[in-house]
Amino acid sequence: MEYQYLFTRLQPKGPSYPGVPLPAGNDARVGKPLHSRLLGYIADAQIGPFYLGYLGVLSVLSILFSLTIIGFNMLASVNWNVVQFIRLLPWLSLEAPLPVHGLRIPPLAEGGWWLAAGFFMTAGLLLFAARTYRRAAALGMGQHTFYAFMGAIWLIVVLGFIRPIAMGSWSEAVPFGIFPHLDWTAAFSIRYGNLFYNPFHALSIVFLYGSVLLFAMHAATIMAVGRFGGEREVELTVDRGTAAERAGLFWRWTMGFNATYESIHRWAWWFAILTPITGGIGILITGTVVDNWFLWAVEKRFAPSYPAVWGVIPVPSN
Amino acid sequence: MAVLSFEQKYRVRGGTLVGGDLFDFWVGPFFVGFFGVTTIFFTVVGVGLILVGAAHGGTWNPWLINIAPPDLKYGLGLAPIYEGGLWQAITICAIGAFVSWALRQAEIARKLGMGMHIPWAYGMAIFAYVTLVVIRPLLMGAWGHGFPYGIFSHLDWVSNVGYQYLHFHYNPAHMIAVSFFFITTLALGLHASLVLAAINPASGEPVKTPEHENTFYRDFIGYSIGTLGIHRLGLFLALSAGFWSAVCIVISGPFWTRGWPEWWNWWLQLPIWN
Amino acid sequence: MKFNLIFGGVIAAIAGLAFVVLTFERLPVDSTQGGFRGTSMGRVDNPRTVAALAVRNQAPPASEAADDSGPRASEIYENVQVLGHLSIEQFGRIMLAMSEWIYPNAENPAESCNGCHVPGNFAAEGMYQKTVARRMLQMVQTINSTYSSHVQQVGVTCYTCHRGQAVPAAVWAEAPPNARLHRLLSTAPADNRPVVANAYSSLPTDAYSAFLTRDSQVGVAGTSARQADNNSSIRQTEWTWSIMMHMSTSLGVNCTFCHNSRNFSGWQDSTPKRVTAWHGLRMVRSINNDYIDPLQPEFPPHRLGPMGDPLKVNCSTCHMGVNQPLLGAPMLRDYPELNPPPRSASLELPASRN
Repeated sequence: MEYQYLFTRLQPKGPSYPGVPLPAGNDARVGKPLHSRLLGYIADAQIGPFYLGYLGVLSVLSILFSLTIIGFNMLASVNWNVVQFIRLLPWLSLEAPLPVHGLRIPPLAEGGWWLAAGFFMTAGLLLFAARTYRRAAALGMGQHTFYAFMGAIWLIVVLGFIRPIAMGSWSEAVPFGIFPHLDWTAAFSIRYGNLFYNPFHALSIVFLYGSVLLFAMHAATIMAVGRFGGEREVELTVDRGTAAERAGLFWRWTMGFNATYESIHRWAWWFAILTPITGGIGILITGTVVDNWFLWAVEKRFAPSYPAVWGVIPVPSN
Repeated sequence: MAVLSFEQKYRVRGGTLVGGDLFDFWVGPFFVGFFGVTTIFFTVVGVGLILVGAAHGGTWNPWLINIAPPDLKYGLGLAPIYEGGLWQAITICAIGAFVSWALRQAEIARKLGMGMHIPWAYGMAIFAYVTLVVIRPLLMGAWGHGFPYGIFSHLDWVSNVGYQYLHFHYNPAHMIAVSFFFITTLALGLHASLVLAAINPASGEPVKTPEHENTFYRDFIGYSIGTLGIHRLGLFLALSAGFWSAVCIVISGPFWTRGWPEWWNWWLQLPIWN
Repeated sequence: MKFNLIFGGVIAAIAGLAFVVLTFERLPVDSTQGGFRGTSMGRVDNPRTVAALAVRNQAPPASEAADDSGPRASEIYENVQVLGHLSIEQFGRIMLAMSEWIYPNAENPAESCNGCHVPGNFAAEGMYQKTVARRMLQMVQTINSTYSSHVQQVGVTCYTCHRGQAVPAAVWAEAPPNARLHRLLSTAPADNRPVVANAYSSLPTDAYSAFLTRDSQVGVAGTSARQADNNSSIRQTEWTWSIMMHMSTSLGVNCTFCHNSRNFSGWQDSTPKRVTAWHGLRMVRSINNDYIDPLQPEFPPHRLGPMGDPLKVNCSTCHMGVNQPLLGAPMLRDYPELNPPPRSASLELPASRN
């Protein structure tokens, strides 16, 4: 059978690449690079070197501290029983403050730790975003990664900070916990009249599914022209070769139009970043502007109506 | 206008699966092929039937048009045309059009000397659709279990299917699928950013190289998956999202009838927790 | 290397298959439509589960009907407080039925008639079961009259809850918090335990106290698109959802049995079952608040919950996993003794109505 470019058949061994030299003002990289043969079957075999940096260290410490806070509170919630902690871990949570506290800083046991964990998690993410900025700047590259990251941070900050403030209560925010944050998601939709009718929610899903569609299309295309060196996207952008031509023509002949080696990445970038941006907008206007999305849709005349198969339902009263 | 500057040399004969030279030509930028003809056929008939359904449904508002599947009482038989039969016919046209599209992609790939990755990837999407409107209804004994064709009405279907299992988020395959969806979007954002960052560097800088791409990620997270690796990963993530979505819906009903949180009892009742 | 990969893959596949077969259910499944086609409202049932539930929810055969002529029980027997209006034959019949429904084991000297009565002295007080039973009889009368909006033509008898046991199988009592309250750490005492009550989710574990004794508001979604005064929180929504999980599992149905989830709060988007459930909620509150909780001083400690309150009623007490208790068998029809006494004992004709 023909080679399908799925697994690398020949792994050349050579010296590790130490990285493009960094200008002054940057630390030295740490770690001696390893090579993983297993990894080499599907991707680049070299692991490391790594750039430590203040921002990175602080970021990781911040996130670890946040996870520690969450973990200890969860452990306390099972009365320090480690076996039950493991058993019940998916169900455990660190809950947001109760509604009675409003926007005040509550006692630690009543949501204060949630605020602390949220603060350190957000701080860690912002520090990590700053790291993407610095690392790209040090190499003279564009800041696209930083901006994409900020799009995601927008959504997180809306969920945990901006919207609760707009609603006047930390209790509106998402709890930490695997199943509990899913309970929150569905309860949010139940409370606000079914989020499917929120147009920004719909847009966000369009971009989410669209991103998956685009990555499938783009990745499959690149692999289909792998025999022409199609994965060399930067080179082919500035110097169009047969891989780029065939890739573009495939889609042109299929659907009548096509992207280029650079522009497909712009399509991809926008779809990926618009997912959290529109999602965040949709969350932000829920409860603040619109209280019941289904009824809003009825008002705007885009809620479908079905025949009343059960007849008129007599509304009960006491 | 329709032919790009470099295109003409690629417009060669061959690569077709069916029909030989009969449909081996282009209309504008579109390649036709035998499967282009079948695509157009199924699309025209299918869209025509949708328009019939819209006319019968009494609204032309695109958000409100709804072609509903049959009542469950018709089982796996054919329903009267305005009682779900239209839906059944449209579904057949849809599958015909989608499969034709995939086979046309295969012909185009062959003609361009490319691998078959694109039609296979598209096949995963077709598989997800067929799971929703054919496989699951077949297993449950009625075509009425398919989703209605309507922009907001299909969302009502999704919502209710979810609540038929009390809390669909606890469906383990759904959790896997959602994770793949989010991580695909993340990876897409990262990959697109990286390529654009190399091609559009900081002001005054020359265009960067793949060495810069690798260096950025090794500095950033200690590992760079590489230019080929990211596309293998991206394809795997995206197809996994589609695959596990299909799994999560086909197990809901045919292989699980209770609330999804209750499925996790196998874990809660493992003997090791005594 | 290649062999290892293939062998490992086969082992993983077999293990995966075993896992799937053991943790999931199998075909065939029964589905019932519960709304307009394409909305996917309705039930999805495992026929094996349904069959097992049907076996466990059979109403026992009724005894031969009693003659209602002759002297009243209160004229012949001493200390008859609730059922004095019945004939002696009726009185004896319902007493026999009650002993079979609640204390069926005649070989146990503490059961049968001796479950409620002092052995050898039917008229005597002194056993808490008798006091409780009197209130329960009045409760049954209330359920079948005031709450016919819920129980409709089927009605309830003692058997509907008790099913041959002194304490019904599905009861609840106040529970201690899931975790010790801690001074410094947040222990989420109200949820994060997968139990039957919340259908094994992470939702609050004791929605019963909130909704089946206290009359906390169930509805959370607003009634207009831009309602400014809806103060329901997401937290409250989770509490409502928890009691809804209970309602679903105790009836063996899902949310779409009553609701179209695109608009949970809208009555015209819901099914008639939701109205029945609405009345049922109020009925259960009345049962718990008016009949059971006030009996707390009567019960001995082993009949109370861990926090000292009596064992109370929720949806599963009667429904036991099917949406109509005892599969809708109209037991009450066979036991008219349980109906409330007629308002007027005289033979005066009612005032003529113009």
